[in-house]
Amino acid sequence: MKLKTAFAGLMALLMLTGLARAEWKPSGPVTLEIGFDAGGETDTLGRVIAKEMADQTGWTMVVKNKPGGGGIAMFTTLAVAKPDGQTIGMGVNMPILVNLVLRGDKLPFKLDSFDYLATVARAQVALVAKKDAPFNDLKGLVDYSKSHEGTIVSFDAKPQELLMRFVNKQAGADIKLISTKSSAESIQEVLGGHVIAAFAAGAHIPYLESGDLKMIASANATRHSYAPDAQTVTEQGFDIFVDPYFFIAAPKGLPADAKDALAKALDKAINSDATRKAIVNALKTDPSDLGPDGTEKMLVDGVQNVKKLFDK
Amino acid sequence: MSELPTILAGVEHAFTLTNLLFVVFGVMAGQFVGAMPGTGPVMAMAIAIPFTFALDPLPAIAFLVGVNKGGLFGGSIPAILINTPGTPDAAATAFDGHPLARKGKPEKATKMALFSSVTGDTFSDIVLITVSAPLAALALKMGPVEIFALMVFAFSIIAGLVGDSMVKGLIAAALGLLAAMVGLDPEHGTPRLYFGHFELFDGLPLAAVAIGMLAVSEILRRLAAIGSDILPTIVIPKSQSKDDRRVSWAEYWSCRYVMLRGAIIGTILGAIPGVGSTAAAFISYASAKQAAKDPDSFGKGNIQGVAATESANSAVVGANLIPLLTLGIPGSVTAALLISAFKIHGIQPGPLLFEQEGRLIYGLFAAMLMANLMNLLLGQVSLRLWSFAVKAPETLVFTSALVLCIAGVYVSTGGAFGVVIMLIFALTGYFMSLFGYSVVVFIIAFFLGNKFELSLSQTLVILDGHPTNLLSHPLALVLLTCAVLSAWWLGFYAPRKARKKA
Amino acid sequence: MKTSPPLQSQGSGSFTGKHIVSLNRLSGLFFVLAGLLLYFVIIPAETETVDYGWLRPQTIPNACAMAMTTLGALHALIPTGSISVKLREILKVTFFTAFTLLSLWLMETFGFLLIAPLFAGALMLLVGERRIGWLAGGAIVFPVAIWLAVVPLLERSLP
Repeated sequence: MKLKTAFAGLMALLMLTGLARAEWKPSGPVTLEIGFDAGGETDTLGRVIAKEMADQTGWTMVVKNKPGGGGIAMFTTLAVAKPDGQTIGMGVNMPILVNLVLRGDKLPFKLDSFDYLATVARAQVALVAKKDAPFNDLKGLVDYSKSHEGTIVSFDAKPQELLMRFVNKQAGADIKLISTKSSAESIQEVLGGHVIAAFAAGAHIPYLESGDLKMIASANATRHSYAPDAQTVTEQGFDIFVDPYFFIAAPKGLPADAKDALAKALDKAINSDATRKAIVNALKTDPSDLGPDGTEKMLVDGVQNVKKLFDK
Repeated sequence: MSELPTILAGVEHAFTLTNLLFVVFGVMAGQFVGAMPGTGPVMAMAIAIPFTFALDPLPAIAFLVGVNKGGLFGGSIPAILINTPGTPDAAATAFDGHPLARKGKPEKATKMALFSSVTGDTFSDIVLITVSAPLAALALKMGPVEIFALMVFAFSIIAGLVGDSMVKGLIAAALGLLAAMVGLDPEHGTPRLYFGHFELFDGLPLAAVAIGMLAVSEILRRLAAIGSDILPTIVIPKSQSKDDRRVSWAEYWSCRYVMLRGAIIGTILGAIPGVGSTAAAFISYASAKQAAKDPDSFGKGNIQGVAATESANSAVVGANLIPLLTLGIPGSVTAALLISAFKIHGIQPGPLLFEQEGRLIYGLFAAMLMANLMNLLLGQVSLRLWSFAVKAPETLVFTSALVLCIAGVYVSTGGAFGVVIMLIFALTGYFMSLFGYSVVVFIIAFFLGNKFELSLSQTLVILDGHPTNLLSHPLALVLLTCAVLSAWWLGFYAPRKARKKA
Repeated sequence: MKTSPPLQSQGSGSFTGKHIVSLNRLSGLFFVLAGLLLYFVIIPAETETVDYGWLRPQTIPNACAMAMTTLGALHALIPTGSISVKLREILKVTFFTAFTLLSLWLMETFGFLLIAPLFAGALMLLVGERRIGWLAGGAIVFPVAIWLAVVPLLERSLP
């Protein structure tokens, strides 16, 4: 039924724009491929954006899940798709960057295999500890670890582990790291007293509000809006950060008018009320579309930053 | 329970016609999709979520809870009727449910599944509603070391299901664990055993492996076994007495201990994230078998086997909401889907949830109880429908089931790659069962493998590699001791005694 | 755990008595070889190594491979448990799997809507169904119903 209304909308739009001026429009449905399973955050945001885009432009949007390797599987096929503006893909930068840096020779694509269209939002990564922990900042944590012959911190994504290893190396802190499956699990380890501090991406915010946890540092390049007093890791003397972005790309070689039209449509959809609400709900942050050039720059700079994380 | 007004407001909020309709619709959809071979409850949820974007929070969540509960019962239907479970927890339902159906009592078996499923579910829902806060605080004390010990304990109980050869069972377990190793390793995030297929970075797709091994291999075997006379899939004797079509109160009541044990096992394992409904179902089944006076009748159509499994795996669903609501931790794939749905609707699980969204949460509780009732009522209809459907000839039923498995796995894994995996594992499963290597043990090891490796890795870091540091984790020590005892008892002592008797 | 009694033969094309025990032994030998192959060839070639941590990526896979080899050898020496091998059924099942794979490839090329009914129809004919009503149900009504439910109704994609 939705298909039908979307089709009717498309016809109406065709007639309208045909009368006005020749703006780029897809000659068929636009497929938004999601690099993750159905039901996850990326899937949720992708589906909301696709719906908003369909409503706003009248295009027919199809959402397809292509999970695998944090988006690697999807970008592999996206790189060789026809660059006609009818196939675009949404993923997260970190797994892509990490794999490009570590095993770039094995990946069937490079950064320049794509035209970049938009970023959706940036995840807020924080280092948190229990409210009664005997330290308030990163230096305190390092000192605590030194005086206790090592302590344990939990993380849920590779870059966070690398960031902590960077700190370890610079400060000789001997902090041990345990891997968990999600921010929520990481926080559970802190609350249960099994680790002294944890990395979390958004799930920690309600605990800051309730006063169970305190924020030790922002692991992003900038401070977080909800905790303006918590310094970044960089500000605390360790020149390193992680900035996970959700972004949207298309295969390289998109016609300029198509790229322009898609970027505009995406920007409008990303900043719509429905998407904003979904982003705030899912990630506890605001939408931030860097635009095509900003997205490309974010990824190119990201490679340098990830190289630094891996000490390469 | 001082917030009585909030509770009443929540309940009032829930009991509207709209919500009731969404619950009914959710349960119906869940039972239907769950009952399709090759789809199952996880897929029912994943597909249902986008449809809730446009709804208000409470009807949206009521709908999803309905889908979840309906799907779980629905999943037992193909397991019982045609021996093609789509998930490992339903595999234990098939052990006794399918032999009952083959004896011409499909309605009795599915009804017992329905009653015990609703019983276990209601039990854990009540636990959730009344004591979730203290339980969650207790669960927090379970650190990685304790979880690891718990998993070892779970494995040791399941050893009772290995069958007639311990060595073959252990090989099957090693094989299952190895299959779970495909993809990124949990400690370092480096890829392994993916043979150049980036789709395998996240591991072998669970649905494809489970459906391939448990359902498709059986479908292929049954297709191959069709002889010159084409029979209906299930033959129900013409002059069947009424007792063979229903579950009498006496029968239900005779399963009370089995169901209570299943419900308690399910609730505990559901409240502690990580071990999940697969382990709960098998532990409950294994302990019901061990405790029974006639353990030999299990696997041949003992109704207690169905009751033990279904009460346990359904109890996990309600109890999964304890870590989900209080900490935001999903205890299963469906719970993970539920969390993302909660977030879309602006409900942030965590410490402030009951304070900020109290009315909604009590509304959710009311909707859950409503869904249990609807599951019971609608289940009566749908089990009759499916029991009728399997009177169709085997040729039609198994061919259609195969087409469904292809379509289902294609949709849930996002492409033909998953279907190829499904077929590879269907053949693997077929050959394993020919040679007496337990497919079920393989699947359990496969499903628990990742969590096992992760908690082993966490444990080694926490203990700093010294087993003596275990002394500061008394609960883990107790669990490990129990594991050794039960492995000895179930693996060596009991089988030897059984052999002597025989 | 002593040797199991030989199994009875089961229908046409089954192996009997002594053969069963040797086949059972052979399955142990299979895992010995599979374990060795994994340990020395596949796991080293397909695992990226890291230089820190208690549990390396290859630790548990190697443990599994070694367990398979050891237990397989034990089983080859002292076979336990029963097996039921029916040659005819094995051939049929293998053929059906290959046939399904081929149909999957055809679906990817020509679409689910065209191939699924042909696949279902051919499969039903192969297993001996000749009644036109049931054939129509399985080959036309059912696959088309699946397609209708998945593609237009649920807006998910099929090949």
